[in-house]
Amino acid sequence: MVAQQGLAHAETIVKSHFGEIVSKVVGCLLHRGSLALPEIVRFVRLPPPQVRSSLLVLIQHNCVQAFSIERPAAGLGGAIRNVTQYTALFYNILQRMRFTKFSAIVNADLGEQCEYLLDGLLQHGRLTFDQLAVRVTLKHPGGSSSVEQQVTIAAAVSHAERFCEIPDMGTNTIPNVKVTDHSPGVSVGDKRKRKAREVDNDGQATIAESEFLWRANFEKFVCCLKKKACVEHIKSRSGPNAGIVLEAMIESNHEQKAKDNNSVMSSMDDILEGVKVKPGGSSMTLENVRKILVEELGCRLSDEETEALHTINLKNIIETCQNDEVEALVVKRYGDEARRIFTLLAKKGIYENDQIHNAALLEKTKTEGILYKFWKDDYLDMKRAISSEDGRQKHNFLWKMNKSVISEHILNDMYHAAINLSQRATHMIEEDPELFAPYQNLPEAQRKLKIAQQTRWIVLLYSLSKIDDGLMLFLDF
Amino acid sequence: MASSSKLPQKRKQPDSNNILLKLSADERKLYELIESRKNVGIWTADMKRETGLPQTIVTKVLKSLQNKNLIKDVVNIHNKAKKIFMASKYEPSKEISGGLWYTPEGNLDILFINTLKDQCLRYVDRVKVATVETIWGFMKDLEVNEQKLFTVQPTTQQITEILDMLVLDKGLEVLKSSGTGDFARVAPGKVCYRRLKSHEDQTGALASIPCGVCPRISECTPDGIISPITCVYFNKWLGIDF
Repeated sequence: MVAQQGLAHAETIVKSHFGEIVSKVVGCLLHRGSLALPEIVRFVRLPPPQVRSSLLVLIQHNCVQAFSIERPAAGLGGAIRNVTQYTALFYNILQRMRFTKFSAIVNADLGEQCEYLLDGLLQHGRLTFDQLAVRVTLKHPGGSSSVEQQVTIAAAVSHAERFCEIPDMGTNTIPNVKVTDHSPGVSVGDKRKRKAREVDNDGQATIAESEFLWRANFEKFVCCLKKKACVEHIKSRSGPNAGIVLEAMIESNHEQKAKDNNSVMSSMDDILEGVKVKPGGSSMTLENVRKILVEELGCRLSDEETEALHTINLKNIIETCQNDEVEALVVKRYGDEARRIFTLLAKKGIYENDQIHNAALLEKTKTEGILYKFWKDDYLDMKRAISSEDGRQKHNFLWKMNKSVISEHILNDMYHAAINLSQRATHMIEEDPELFAPYQNLPEAQRKLKIAQQTRWIVLLYSLSKIDDGLMLFLDF
Repeated sequence: MASSSKLPQKRKQPDSNNILLKLSADERKLYELIESRKNVGIWTADMKRETGLPQTIVTKVLKSLQNKNLIKDVVNIHNKAKKIFMASKYEPSKEISGGLWYTPEGNLDILFINTLKDQCLRYVDRVKVATVETIWGFMKDLEVNEQKLFTVQPTTQQITEILDMLVLDKGLEVLKSSGTGDFARVAPGKVCYRRLKSHEDQTGALASIPCGVCPRISECTPDGIISPITCVYFNKWLGIDF
């Protein structure tokens, strides 16, 4: 179940990208689940054409999915009829925060031209091949003879497999509009069809039913970001060389097609080859790489039929990243000694008071104070145990960490923080719409003020991006 | 000739049975009760309950037994206000005294713990990979200004506990030796400790912004009295005067 703040966060993203009306529609779907058009109209209290347009925008941008279900029609003697329901795609909405990260990946991996194509897909949700070609033409006027060739190269199958997806034509885009015509409670008639057609003309009419549509493959991008996060973590923990080795290992992964993208398996030859082409990797010897694989990355060596492969599970690295995030918060909220207790309780098991203060080498009263704070904030489960000693009852407390509850709390707080940061950043722009206008001609005092405000805005956006990294750590990786 | 009887003789230990014979009935009753509790001792209130003697008598008798060196009072680390008595011939159990990490006054020996902690980290920094035994060997010979750093040599058990605590603090990591590279001096498969890098500069995404530690986060709403637009913590964080 998605946390309440998560739904609010998704609504905020849609509001900032598509405006108030669309965010109302998506908010209704996020909070109430799958609904048919008349139900949405009833809940959001907006004119049906506005709701319909909003749904089309959301479908175009992969934020809402339409699907058809069979329902007994009222007053028709138990007859079954098809009803179109709309459901919000929460995780796809969250991906909208990461578009700049996706573009940066494509730029680094495939070049500027591919980044431009991807930007088109991210801006417009889904595009036909022709629409993509037009974008390239506009970008490079005069080179029309090779435009098609350029698009074909940029969207070649290997790249498409990595970063693009062909949406299911049966339920999305134009067919959605047609299915909507059969929704209960909406009169089926020429007028209604004409309205639907008007919506089509706004941007969809050029798409033929038989044509393929392209959209960004968010899953693959998240996978790339996950690998990047793993490499960054290893770099900070074990040094830049270990980061280079892990990166080379991931890139030469023998298990790339496997569904489980946590397992990375690579031969020494492939790793060495990858390391040599990395900046700073050319000076690394076989012995260096072997030492890093065994001592820093803790790789296992598995014997395949043809060659020995080094294996690492990225899930363990991600778990360490998650623990680091939670522990950093514990240190900030409760102090260093509390983190000691927290790390102890993070190991599986149930602990008594005495066990905890003995292992943490802390005063008993101090330990109890910290445990109480953790318990009050729902970090721990506590049970009272009564034992009998010398005929007298002895009370003790047993403590256990509930990791899933902690993750939920952290996620909820992260959503809340993301809402706050984006609201504050939006407020700054609303207060001063010319925040990023040229300031060279302004007096010295005003210029300084403007620079300070711009810095604040950048700090907010940077923090928002970091919070989004944190969200991915707990949600997507 | 000097007879053997003139040689210095070891002073005869007082026979507790003889002493007991000289005690009054109340004293004997209370002493036997305290002695029966061995190294755990007994609380004065429990004495009163079990012997049925009034408070004044119990206090008087306890004082008399202490003067005769038959009993001693010990500090219970779990409850310092709870006065516990124990026969002089016993040493208080770990449950009562807290063990090696506690001073005779019943306080945690923070200075000793911190010194041991610092020395362990310093040694691991120097040798990169260390075992409990190598650290213990280092501590044994450790001198400051030509004087032993520790008046009482820490045991291997104490060093293990300190190392485990440092692992919890993320100062060290525990792993098994591979027998190669940095681990060459440690037998393969043996448990050893290594410094955990990049711990200090680690800042979580949520911990680095005010919302992560905000005590009012549950009351914060976009249009509420507490909101990110009017938030004083945000103002302070962004360096805005308020």
